Amino acid sequence: MKVTIAKIFLFMLAVVSLYAYVGQLVPQFEEHPPKKKVITPQTTGDDLVAAGQEILRGKGGCLICHKDQERGNERGPDLRRAAGKAATRKPGIAAEAYLIESMVEPYAFIVEGYPKMMPPAMKPPASLSMAEVKAVVAYLQSLGGAEVTVSVQAGDVAAGKKAVGPVHRGRQLMDANGCLGCHKLAGEGGAVGPELTRVAERREPAKIAQKIADPKLWTAEGFQAGLMPPRPDLPEGDRQEIAAYLAGLSGKAYSPTGAASPWSHEGVRLGVVIAVFNTVMLLVLAWARSREKSPLSPGPSPIEGEGRNAAGDAT
Amino acid sequence: MARAIATSAFQALKGTYKGVVKISVLLVLTYLIAQGLNSFLPAADYRSALGLPNRVAVWAVAELHLMFAAFVLGVPIFALITEIIGVATREKRYDDLAREFTKLLAMAYTLTAVLGCVLLVLFIVLYPKFTGILSKIFKPTWIAYIVLIFGEVIVAYLYWYTWSLLQGVRKKWHLLLGLLVNLWGTALLFVADAWVTFMMSPAGIDDANNLVSLWGVIHNHTWMPINIHRLLANVAFGGAIVAAYAAVRFLNAKTDEERARFDWMGYVGSFIAIAAFIPLPFAGYWLGREIYQFSEQMGVSMMGGSFAWLWILQAMLIGSLFLASNFYLWLGMGRIPGAERYTKFQIGMMIVLTIGFIVWATPRSIIATGTEMSAMGGSHHPFLGLFGVMAAKNTAVNLMILTTFFSFMLYRRGNRIPIVPWAVAGKALQALAIAAAAAVVLGYGVYSYFVPSITRIGFSVYQVSAVLTSMALFVAIDIPLLKGAREIGAIRWGHIPARAQYALFFLAVSFTWLMGLMGYIRSGIRQHWHVYGRVMDESANAYTMAHGQATIIVSCIVVVFFLLVSVVFWLAARGGEPAESPAGEASAAKAAGSAA
Ligand code: HEC
Ligand code: HEC
Repeated sequence: MKVTIAKIFLFMLAVVSLYAYVGQLVPQFEEHPPKKKVITPQTTGDDLVAAGQEILRGKGGCLICHKDQERGNERGPDLRRAAGKAATRKPGIAAEAYLIESMVEPYAFIVEGYPKMMPPAMKPPASLSMAEVKAVVAYLQSLGGAEVTVSVQAGDVAAGKKAVGPVHRGRQLMDANGCLGCHKLAGEGGAVGPELTRVAERREPAKIAQKIADPKLWTAEGFQAGLMPPRPDLPEGDRQEIAAYLAGLSGKAYSPTGAASPWSHEGVRLGVVIAVFNTVMLLVLAWARSREKSPLSPGPSPIEGEGRNAAGDAT
Repeated sequence: MARAIATSAFQALKGTYKGVVKISVLLVLTYLIAQGLNSFLPAADYRSALGLPNRVAVWAVAELHLMFAAFVLGVPIFALITEIIGVATREKRYDDLAREFTKLLAMAYTLTAVLGCVLLVLFIVLYPKFTGILSKIFKPTWIAYIVLIFGEVIVAYLYWYTWSLLQGVRKKWHLLLGLLVNLWGTALLFVADAWVTFMMSPAGIDDANNLVSLWGVIHNHTWMPINIHRLLANVAFGGAIVAAYAAVRFLNAKTDEERARFDWMGYVGSFIAIAAFIPLPFAGYWLGREIYQFSEQMGVSMMGGSFAWLWILQAMLIGSLFLASNFYLWLGMGRIPGAERYTKFQIGMMIVLTIGFIVWATPRSIIATGTEMSAMGGSHHPFLGLFGVMAAKNTAVNLMILTTFFSFMLYRRGNRIPIVPWAVAGKALQALAIAAAAAVVLGYGVYSYFVPSITRIGFSVYQVSAVLTSMALFVAIDIPLLKGAREIGAIRWGHIPARAQYALFFLAVSFTWLMGLMGYIRSGIRQHWHVYGRVMDESANAYTMAHGQATIIVSCIVVVFFLLVSVVFWLAARGGEPAESPAGEASAAKAAGSAA
């Protein structure tokens, strides 16, 4: 009795260990939630400046048109000088207020020599909160070597703090990489390049993924070649993810991800486990069969009579 | 006589009352502890207790609670089915079997309730903010839940205690009680599912997470699919546990009589488990579709992100379940005189199962690295990529289901030779039905490579209907075909090798493990959200852990579950028959194997 129970227990341990072992064979990585910098009224000084730099270079998508260092785009004015010029740009408005206005309502004042093209920072695609706008202003002020005068109020934070649902990772990547600065997508974004909402209807998703790395692949009709920045630095998986998102907008299914190569490390190991498992099952079956054939079973037992077709009745 | 009835009715009421008191005390205690801790502990969004990792603690307790809940919901369904079979066939052993398992309920309820209470306290202590949000939204359902718990306890205890009272002409009232137990249990499940599914696919709230419509909250995208999926899984789970219990008893049995009885019990348990298991993949597809409809993003992270690897694990588990159940059936044929006639099919079936297994386990949605892609010349392997897509997997699983069904039917026929005049035509028709279904499944499977994906998705419906229709047709022919069939010999219950019992036990362990894994995937795909897209997990535990770690945790939970279940069985066995049973019935269970 004890031996049997022990055997059963060991059997169970063996089974669950086998499953846990297979769990070790697949790739192991942790997925961490996206980092978010929370800007509060307590965020001041260098922290605020750092947060502003991150927003300007990332989420804000400002570098599509501006530059904040020696090299960069010059569709808009050089932002290193923005804070310095701010006080004198528009009569009757102080430097800090001008900077905020030029981001929130860019068309209230157009800098001479530049077109009217800057998207309002608190509208999509950037969708910054007032707190974030102020962080950027802090960064701009520090860039110009001026004193950081801007400060975040409690009300600025609340405005931007709305529960936002998850977005497709492809869309997140497009936002993060500034595609919307030039392209319109589902009603948002710039008009430097063609609208991308239904681009997958005219282009193969796989080709779109390539185009991101190498814009020379083709030039959209009616647009100027060489404007779109090549992004071979984006990982293949990210480019595929963007293509999959665009494909989805056109109602196409495109799996950005492929079957893992069976020759890859994990593939081989998994294959071996499955093969061994099946072989063992076959062997056990064959062995069981051969035992069944041998005249091992005793004659009819006393209970035979009542066993009448319970198999049938149970169905 | 009348006096005897009065006493036994009184005993039934007394037993039920005891159960109600037990649950009340438990609930009151939980309430006091939770309130006490809440006012004693400092206010926080997250707390941690005793240095335990929050998430693992809640995970383990929730999963164990869920497994026991599945057990206490599955067992009454199992009991009612066998009781009805007992009434229909007038075979006492079915009634005794139903009774033997109902006996476990009292113990199992208590354990489920204790685990549920611990879970609640953990939530309140470790995740106060999140618990606050949920309890605000779901306030009215708590009350319904508590009312349902009491209702469930009352009917379940009555069901058990009135077993010998409501026999004979009064049996129909007992069946009605059994039905009530199950209706109540299902209602409980549906309420609890509303909470869980809301976390996955929230609805019925505005942008600021204020309640707009309670029905909208309850009736969210994934509610119904999860309800159905869990209901079926509970039946399968109940059956699997019964089979595992029978297997353990068989292996420990001393006499032929016992062996015969537990062999038969294992067979009935596994039969019900497999029958409920077959439609589960279909319910799973429905759930998957609803998830995609709710949020493509969630669908993608479920099928295409890192979780894709866990589906390979799942495929391996389901493949093992199919193989083990066929293995059990084939070994079982050894005790059916005449079943040798069908051994010739086994190798063929084994090959179909193996190929199906491998196709199903071929990964698809896994991000290949740059070097892998260039080695393959594309994001998919030129040849094996073909097997990775859903079309191939659908085809594979449908063929596996068909094969298992065929095994069952051969088993059923094992010792019988049809004597009706149209036997040959009938058998030919059955063979045709199976062949036609297989052809439809394969045909659509191949054809689907040549059509766009939108059309392809619809094909799985044809494949499933072909399989279901052919199964229905087969059974419809089978029943009249075997009417009065000539028997080669009686089934020699008990004459089955020990290996078969290990296969049964394997089924139960794998099934439990599968439940643990799927539960992990279901709640893991919420990623760093408590309520997907609405309430973010801002604790240090918000990340998705590596699969290796998760599978180890699942394994530990399964081991603990089986240990706890053995305690329940052991206590129930020690308690023996309730004193309430009139004498004479007491030995019924022991004689079950031979009474007929
Ligand atoms: C699509 C291109 C584009 C994008 C994207 C863009 N800007 Fe501009 N920005 C311009 C142009 C063009 C001007 C000059 C015309 C004007 O004043 O509107 C300008 C002007 C400004 C000015 C006033 C500069 C001055 O010297 O007076 C500031 C400050 C500014 N942008 C900040 C930002 C910030 C911060 C972002 C990111 C949130 C951003 N911009 C995004 C094109 C852009
Ligand atoms: C500086 C502006 C700019 C940015 C930033 C930019 N593009 Fe473009 N893109 C263009 C222009 C201009 C064209 C049209 C000329 C061409 O085809 O090269 C274009 C063309 C395209 C096309 C082809 C459209 C068609 O109809 O054939 C795709 C696809 C595309 N871009 C995707 C992207 C993605 C994805 C990103 C973000 C990683 C991005 N672009 C970033 C300017 C830009």
